[in-house]
Amino acid sequence: MKLLTKYNRINIVVTTIALLVSGVCYYFFIHYQLINRLDKDLVIEQLEITDFIRLNDNLPKASVYKDQMTSFELMAPGNTVERAFTSRDFFSKEDNDWQTRREFVYPVHLNGRVYKVKISKSQQETDELIQSILLITLTVVVGLLIVLFIVNRLLLNKLWRPFNTTLRQLKDFNLAGKKDLQLEKTEINEFADLNNAVNIMGSRVMQDYEALKSFTENASHEIQTPLAIIQSKLELLMQSDALQEEQVSSIQSMHNACIRLSKLNQSLILLTKIDNHQFQAKERINITGLIQHQLDIYEELMAVKQITVISNIADDCYIKMNEAMAEILFSNLVTNAIKHNIEKGKIEIKLTMHQLVICNTGPYLNTDPAELFERFKKGNQHSSSLGLGLSIVKKICDQNNFSIDYQLREHLHILTIHFN
Amino acid sequence: MKILIIEDEKGLSDSMVTYLKGESYVCETAYDYAAALNKIERYNYDCILLDIMLPGGSGLQILKELKANNKLDGVLIISAKNSLDDKVAGLKLGADDYLAKPFHLSELSARVAAIIRRRNFEGNDRIQFNEITIETLAKVIMVQGEPLELTRKEYELLLYFVSNKGRVISKDAIAEHLWGDELQGNIDFIYTHIKNLRKKLTEAGAEDYIKSVYGMGYKFSQQ
Repeated sequence: MKLLTKYNRINIVVTTIALLVSGVCYYFFIHYQLINRLDKDLVIEQLEITDFIRLNDNLPKASVYKDQMTSFELMAPGNTVERAFTSRDFFSKEDNDWQTRREFVYPVHLNGRVYKVKISKSQQETDELIQSILLITLTVVVGLLIVLFIVNRLLLNKLWRPFNTTLRQLKDFNLAGKKDLQLEKTEINEFADLNNAVNIMGSRVMQDYEALKSFTENASHEIQTPLAIIQSKLELLMQSDALQEEQVSSIQSMHNACIRLSKLNQSLILLTKIDNHQFQAKERINITGLIQHQLDIYEELMAVKQITVISNIADDCYIKMNEAMAEILFSNLVTNAIKHNIEKGKIEIKLTMHQLVICNTGPYLNTDPAELFERFKKGNQHSSSLGLGLSIVKKICDQNNFSIDYQLREHLHILTIHFN
Repeated sequence: MKILIIEDEKGLSDSMVTYLKGESYVCETAYDYAAALNKIERYNYDCILLDIMLPGGSGLQILKELKANNKLDGVLIISAKNSLDDKVAGLKLGADDYLAKPFHLSELSARVAAIIRRRNFEGNDRIQFNEITIETLAKVIMVQGEPLELTRKEYELLLYFVSNKGRVISKDAIAEHLWGDELQGNIDFIYTHIKNLRKKLTEAGAEDYIKSVYGMGYKFSQQ
């Protein structure tokens, strides 16, 4: 749910309840006030009647005057009259309608007799007043809700714009893209704080990324240089004429180990570079040509193993990817198919615009095909290969959103890459 | 032939000097940026081996200085940073070739020989080894004046041997030279290639110069 929707929903519910409750309170308060006023008027009437009785020693005439009615009733001896204010409905013949009247009853003692005095005033005006007040209040409530809704819509959308801009920037943020965050200036403190925090975080991440990148480069430098020294010294030793068989074998082992270590290091650095998205520049690449080229390079290698190549490569297949990555990918695939092949085996390559299928004959594997994509997983643990080739392939595919699938059917290894 | 080796790792620099001296090159060394700059300003070299990360400055800056002074020295960049950017930057600045550490000394020697051939013998691109003649521009092999048909890899293999004559070359160095460093694992197939080349050469009337050195590799030599 959008924040705006949620906010609006809560806002409208709360506002409505608050306005209704206050409307009810308002009604009772005004009602009480007006009735109180009426009662006071009635008491003034009482005073006038009391004055009249004292001066004239007689009851005034019952009267109907300006909605005010006064009447006197002689009470039977022994009956008492309670002083009381009541609201009562009367049927008015004039208006042909029911009317509410405020009635004030109290006793008067005159010449030893008890009279019940009843003064009443119409409550109609009061009721009408309350109705008008309520109507106005209700109109204001509805109007206010509508205005609130519209204002929220327009204003909040505008208010949240800096936030949305920041969000969009964050979504597009790409470490390897080397593009700084361009955040909109805002006068709202919260968003300014957010932008500030995002900027700080962005530059820190950028710094860490740069540090990591240079660490990778430096690690490569630091490891490759001693390796280069060891390798060169061993190769110089090989030139010596006075070597004994034992020494030759030691030198050979060291040389092999040194080369393996250096290749391992290079592969790991390559994986890190791919992980760090350091192969960004994409271009349209003719993979038909690229695969053909790889097959040419390794032609003699295949001839040595007497491998037959059945290629079914469509002309002019282009995909958009990084050139160096494409070269690494296809070279890895082709060498993989040669390396893990058997004598007099076969390699079948099928390339279309949408997919590349490489099948090669090879020994049966006990390993789960999915595991072969993991680092240092080898079909044959004794093999001298590093077990990084397929994980590099997988990583490149992942980064380019290609899906890759490895299947084993009897002695046929089938690797399928779907370009998207 | 004079070669300047600009490399801050003394161990590596020494190895290169020892190996290249065996090819009868005159080698000089510089271990840091200032010394290197000093040398290139004063002398001309047939080939400069240039490390990129140097104490006191970048090898690429030295390359820029060379080009700014219109020096014709051939430049082979040797870098531990096997990064494409460095390679492209180096070649764009006018370096002749790029070699990533660690490398085989035989590979270094072959690359240096190729650079010097391209620089110094314009038009004259002929390498003579007794009865074998290699024309590097036309990529033609002649044995006793008769042309010899070789596959591309066989031609490259022969040229590699001749560039490292009298030296023991490991099988790894050969495999890497011919197929790049993507190849990992068993490289016994090299044997078949060597056998084919040997057969073609001897059948054409050349002596069998390719010797197998037990346990280590091969050697192309007279005796």
